[in-house]
Amino acid sequence: MSKNIFINGKGFSFEGEKTVLEVARENGIYIPSLCYHEKVGPANKCRVCVVEVDGMKDLQTSCSLAAADGMKVGTTTEKVLEAQRMVVNLLLSNGNHNCLSCEANGDCELQDAAYYLGIERPPFVIEEHKEREDSGAFILRDPEKCIQCGRCIEGCNRLVVNEVLDFGYRGGHTEVVWDNDMPLDDSNCVECGECVQMCPVGALIAKKGMGRARRWETKPVRTTCPYCGVGCQLDLHVKDDQIIRVTGTEGAQPNMGHLCVKGRFGYDFIYSDERLTTPLIRENDGFREASWDEALNLVAGKFTQIIEESGPDAIAGVSCARSINEDSYNMQKLFRSVIGTNNIDHCART
Amino acid sequence: MTNSFREFENNKLIFCIGTNMTEAHPVASYYVKRAVNKGATLIVADPRKHALADKASIFAQIKVGSDVAFLNGIMNVLITEDLYDKKFVEANCEDFEALKAKVLEYPPERASKIARVPADQIREIARTLAVNRPGALCYTLGITEHTCGKNNVMSTANLQMLLGNLGMEGGGVNPLRGQNNVQGACDMGALPNVFHGYQAVTDPAAREKFAKAWNVPSLPDKPGLMIPDMMAKLPSKEVRAFYIFGENLANTDPNIANVEHELSSAEFLVCNDIFMTETTRFAHVIFPSAAWCEDDGTFASSERRVNRVRKIKEPPGQAKPNWWIFKEIAKRMGHEWRSSSSREIWDKEVSPLAAPYTGIKYARIENDGLQWPCPSEEHPGTTFLHKDGKFTRGKGLFQAIEWTPPAEVEDEEYPFVLSTGRRLFHYHSRTQTGRAGMDQKLSEETADICPKDAARLGIANGEYIQVSSRRGSVRVKARVTDQIPLGMVWMAFHFREANANWLTNNVYDPQTKTAEYKACSCKIEKIA
Amino acid sequence: MDTTERGTRIQDLIGKYPQKESAVLPVLQLLQKEGGNYLSKEAMEVAARELGCSASRVYGVATYYSMFNTKPVGKYHLQVDTCVPGFLHGADDIAAHISKKLGIEPGETTKDGLFTLSKVQDLGSCATGPVVQVNDRYFENMTAEKTDQLLEALKNGGWPDNDTAMKVVSKCGILLNDRSRKDCRTLALYKKNGGYQALETALSMKPEAIVAEVKAAEVRGRGGAGFPAGTKWSFLPKDDPRPVYLICNADEGEPGTFKDRQIMEFNPHLLIEGIAISAQALNSAKAFIYIRGEFSWIADILETAIGEANQAGYLKHVDIVVHRGAGSYVCGDETAQIESLEGKRGNPRVKPPFPANSGLYGCPTVVNNVETLSSVPYIINNGAAGFKEIGVANNYGPKIFGVSGHVNQPGIFEYPMGTPLQEILEAAGGVKGNLKGVIVGGLSVPILTAEEAKGLNLDYDSCARAGTALGSGGIMVVNDTVSIPELALRTIEFYEHESCGQCAPCRKGTHTIKSKLRDLVMGRGKSDDIDLVLSLCKNIKGLTLCPTGEAFAAPVQAMVAKFRAEFEALVKR
Ligand SMILES: Cc1cc2nc3c(=O)[nH]c(=O)nc-3n(C[C@H](O)[C@H](O)[C@H](O)COP(=O)(O)O)c2cc1C
Ligand code: SF4
Ligand code: SF4
Ligand code: FES
Repeated sequence: MSKNIFINGKGFSFEGEKTVLEVARENGIYIPSLCYHEKVGPANKCRVCVVEVDGMKDLQTSCSLAAADGMKVGTTTEKVLEAQRMVVNLLLSNGNHNCLSCEANGDCELQDAAYYLGIERPPFVIEEHKEREDSGAFILRDPEKCIQCGRCIEGCNRLVVNEVLDFGYRGGHTEVVWDNDMPLDDSNCVECGECVQMCPVGALIAKKGMGRARRWETKPVRTTCPYCGVGCQLDLHVKDDQIIRVTGTEGAQPNMGHLCVKGRFGYDFIYSDERLTTPLIRENDGFREASWDEALNLVAGKFTQIIEESGPDAIAGVSCARSINEDSYNMQKLFRSVIGTNNIDHCART
Repeated sequence: MTNSFREFENNKLIFCIGTNMTEAHPVASYYVKRAVNKGATLIVADPRKHALADKASIFAQIKVGSDVAFLNGIMNVLITEDLYDKKFVEANCEDFEALKAKVLEYPPERASKIARVPADQIREIARTLAVNRPGALCYTLGITEHTCGKNNVMSTANLQMLLGNLGMEGGGVNPLRGQNNVQGACDMGALPNVFHGYQAVTDPAAREKFAKAWNVPSLPDKPGLMIPDMMAKLPSKEVRAFYIFGENLANTDPNIANVEHELSSAEFLVCNDIFMTETTRFAHVIFPSAAWCEDDGTFASSERRVNRVRKIKEPPGQAKPNWWIFKEIAKRMGHEWRSSSSREIWDKEVSPLAAPYTGIKYARIENDGLQWPCPSEEHPGTTFLHKDGKFTRGKGLFQAIEWTPPAEVEDEEYPFVLSTGRRLFHYHSRTQTGRAGMDQKLSEETADICPKDAARLGIANGEYIQVSSRRGSVRVKARVTDQIPLGMVWMAFHFREANANWLTNNVYDPQTKTAEYKACSCKIEKIA
Repeated sequence: MDTTERGTRIQDLIGKYPQKESAVLPVLQLLQKEGGNYLSKEAMEVAARELGCSASRVYGVATYYSMFNTKPVGKYHLQVDTCVPGFLHGADDIAAHISKKLGIEPGETTKDGLFTLSKVQDLGSCATGPVVQVNDRYFENMTAEKTDQLLEALKNGGWPDNDTAMKVVSKCGILLNDRSRKDCRTLALYKKNGGYQALETALSMKPEAIVAEVKAAEVRGRGGAGFPAGTKWSFLPKDDPRPVYLICNADEGEPGTFKDRQIMEFNPHLLIEGIAISAQALNSAKAFIYIRGEFSWIADILETAIGEANQAGYLKHVDIVVHRGAGSYVCGDETAQIESLEGKRGNPRVKPPFPANSGLYGCPTVVNNVETLSSVPYIINNGAAGFKEIGVANNYGPKIFGVSGHVNQPGIFEYPMGTPLQEILEAAGGVKGNLKGVIVGGLSVPILTAEEAKGLNLDYDSCARAGTALGSGGIMVVNDTVSIPELALRTIEFYEHESCGQCAPCRKGTHTIKSKLRDLVMGRGKSDDIDLVLSLCKNIKGLTLCPTGEAFAAPVQAMVAKFRAEFEALVKR
């Protein structure tokens, strides 16, 4: 049965159990939210997603408030905006939120909230300095930008179950810790980067892309990971012909946005200077560069000669378990239909 | 895999044998761990106490190469205690009596002696499997990389049929494929006995169909050679030309010294690759290939899902897509192939010529891929196979399987067993990961040994030691860890230096020709 | 302790709980003790291994609770309570005295490693302030001389006696007993005075009948919120297969409050009988007394008394476990307390679900204050009607008031609900100096000016009408020597220290308000700062995840609004 709620006076119908935030998002209504993530559900920590509900005294967090039939919700009342402004101001003024130099600029949920609320400059104090933590091979931690939303922790413990992160300390000192509050590289962290993907701000950053492109300069291209056989879907964030960073494709089968360290950070081998760029033909102890025509003719000629002399079964081939299906298909087609042998295999069992 | 990754999270029971999922298939392991957190029972059987074992409710630290005996022991309990799924077996399986006769020869006490786990643990596992159904079985190369690899695989199938764990969500026999597109390379017929879609070369109808499609008068009807046999025939020149596409056999095949001897004796070796490798050193011609991201195409994952791969850049220099290279060779041997893009190859040839892919077209896999069999363009794909106990061959065939030890077992001279595999931060011979910064996480090979052996031999963690087998010897850093059982050395093959394959035994399963990477004997010595 | 003995002791601790991870606090406490009052990372790793949880989980817990010393401290850890009641009693002077004497600042350790000095938040010893806690012992009613004697004795390896003197008046004689008797806590004496008769009656009653009686007595929860206990009990789901847990809230963390300890320390069997009856009423086979960690000797007293009651066969139907907290005010909140009992950081949970439906381990749970549960035997013995003869309409029964601050005889007073404030103040020897304001319900309620306090009766409804709350009944009296901005700063310092840090308005709000108030007190403040503080308070109320936001926003707002001139006077010109 479809139900109806009213947001800012307009009716919206929805099905099943949904929160007010979910209904709002589905209908393109923006409510700032910082700690909610659809993969881990409401955390109720940031309190910026509040709305005013008819018949309820206090503001309600829309991320955890179940939408009920007939409910009347205001997302832009003065009370709501004042509360939201206060929280965002508090978060901005405690920490070093310098968007100019932040990698997350343009792709930051805190920045979006501040912009929406018309905050130009927070009115309060600026905090004591916290050092960046640079020990990780691929992940940079910038605790000054952390808003303690806990999404990284939920991701680490509940989604990828690596169980490395938790909150340490208390109150204003609350901080995300790796194991016993160790440098990332010394901890049990496997740098799968789930935390980076979950972070709404620039507190956890993929190092490889730093300083190479602003978020709006890249476009995502979905592809499949080139490592193990799980077939994770990833989004390559590409500027010109460069991959700036990689994220797991949210909601995609089979990985639902999760990746491992290789899938997320192991992409740049394709840019190596050591790539082969021309056909090579053996000459004495080494190789010389050759044109495609020369090399292809040499191979075709040699194959033809061997078939004539020793029959097609004197040729054998091994295909590649990493390359695309279409390559393997063409290779076996070459062996079967052109050379005339079934001597085609690949490392099927390793 | 008969079933799908996303099922794992909601499974009641998962039985992992010979799979170090947290390192080799991390994302799959997330789902397994989540299932455990939701209350699923996890059973892990492995010679190593790897990270997944910490999450297991039962961990059986079985001896390397004892899988058949161990599984037979479990099935013995299921049958003698009358715990198996009689309905499923009667309705859907054949040759139960043969299986029964065989596994009755493996009472838990006997299995226990071979697998070196307590007989009561074998009983406990059997009973746990029987009450928590359906349950999924997952394995990786710990099962296949043995001279009895095929028998191991069939034993896992026996077990799941006996439990009636096939043909439903949450069950299945699930081999997790090691490489991104091993599944695809098999699917595409890069195998000596089948065309793509597993159509046998011995089947005249299949040959006729492909001859027509490929516009040739006839196709060879005799299954071809498998890799080890191809290589073995190089020195004698029975195989004169050898074409290696993208594989680094000189590092990844067992007994490197022998592999290199074979490769160096090739009369004519052609390689397609993206880098110079230890293997291309022996080539006569090397073609520079387009890499991942430099060509459109598809991969097929372990769960039979055909996923899109996309191009974001041109290949460097003159490098070309591999399908183009094969097409050009064909052309120069007198065959003009029509398809001139990956998309055309798939949509016009792969898809129409094999029933399982008929419904899979590029246009349908723009987002999520489709799982074969997908026989029509309306078909949603198949998340699990053998629905309602229907097997491809009709009924599921039980196989009576005898346990056989590894080809080489520990002795006085070589008192340790060497087992090998992969580590989290690297992939194969590091042609990719070694050029993507992963060396920062792991920069050299280690020989993993247990604290007791280390103490007995006076070896400290991080100290260089000599590990030798009948085939070779390497100098390598010792890593002392309680993941390893007594009497085992465990190494990977990611680094050229101290590569485990200098030591591994080039013996093979007689049918699948998979090498026995998981077991050979070796010795370790302190370096004075 | 060798590792095997340690292992068995850890296993024993784990065995007390339905779930392993609940033993995180006790295991860490054990390991800290073993480590010479220091909890090293290695010890935390041991705990993680034994408890089967991640290193970060244990570390997160260890660094959450203020009683875990994750940095080494001296042999004697001198902890001076400088929270509001202590401040009113001159605790700052004691801290300064120690500082001077030992040549160390708070947070530092003497070179010989003997002493570490810390300023700590409320220790629940309000009428007997200043109080110095040395490791796990209290030294109350401290003066400069007594401090010298204490330091001298400690240097010589001895422990001086603690002076616990304060005024004690029990007009009702229900909750407080005669503590002057040496055997006041014994089962024998308790029984002699009619103890455990109510339990015997209750054991012959149907559980529903007990619930009905308590409901009819309209006893309102004494933990602060004043919610009727019987009504809360009746929220438990009927015919639910899950076990029911009863938690006795003995966290007593609210500054100004030191009432529950009077029952537990001197009259422990009253509480145990109350729990035993309540457990019978609620069908609960497992009850916990969550006692603040600082009261370690009181926890020992409770354990002894439970042992006695057990031996006497009174606790066949319920297993009562004393669970020691480890230094966290927020763990007084029922949901945070449940999290803490599950071995986690004391982060409050969102309600709903309410504990009655999904509390400890996701099971139906009732949390009641010590004083509430201790009222139950009287209700059973005298019937709801008998209970309702005490107090005023809608506010029945006896209530323990604690009076601290500027009165001539601070102490503890058991009077009927609804007693005039004036009467209690007189019982406490009258106000010392000129009354400026009074906080009647612990530090989380708005202060009343002397004018507003006139004619106030101490019951929930009258206090609410006066714009404040009766809360826990911890009365703090403030005379005109006190600067209200300084008092406000102390108040927010407490909450900043105690904020669990989970939600942004509280975590950042306490911090920001504190820095603004500090600026004002230090004479660096700007006139905007006053309005900024007011607007923060206004917006934080009702916005936070748990009631803590309200608990600091309301009192600070009241202090600033009611004494604004004092703040204005501090603004930098
Ligand atoms: C931050 C905070 C601290 C609290 N501290 C205590 C406390 O120390 N003792 C207590 O009994 N209740 C405390 N409470 C109230 C409890 O949440 C709960 O309402 C009470 O224990 C219920 O018992 P009662 O109904 O018997 O009063 C606190 C609440 C909050 C929000
Ligand atoms: S690091 Fe990012 S995800 Fe983690 S708590 Fe901080 S802001 Fe949230
Ligand atoms: S209001 Fe304060 S104490 Fe309560 S949950 Fe939020 S941060 Fe924690
Ligand atoms: S998004 Fe709702 S509280 Fe943070």
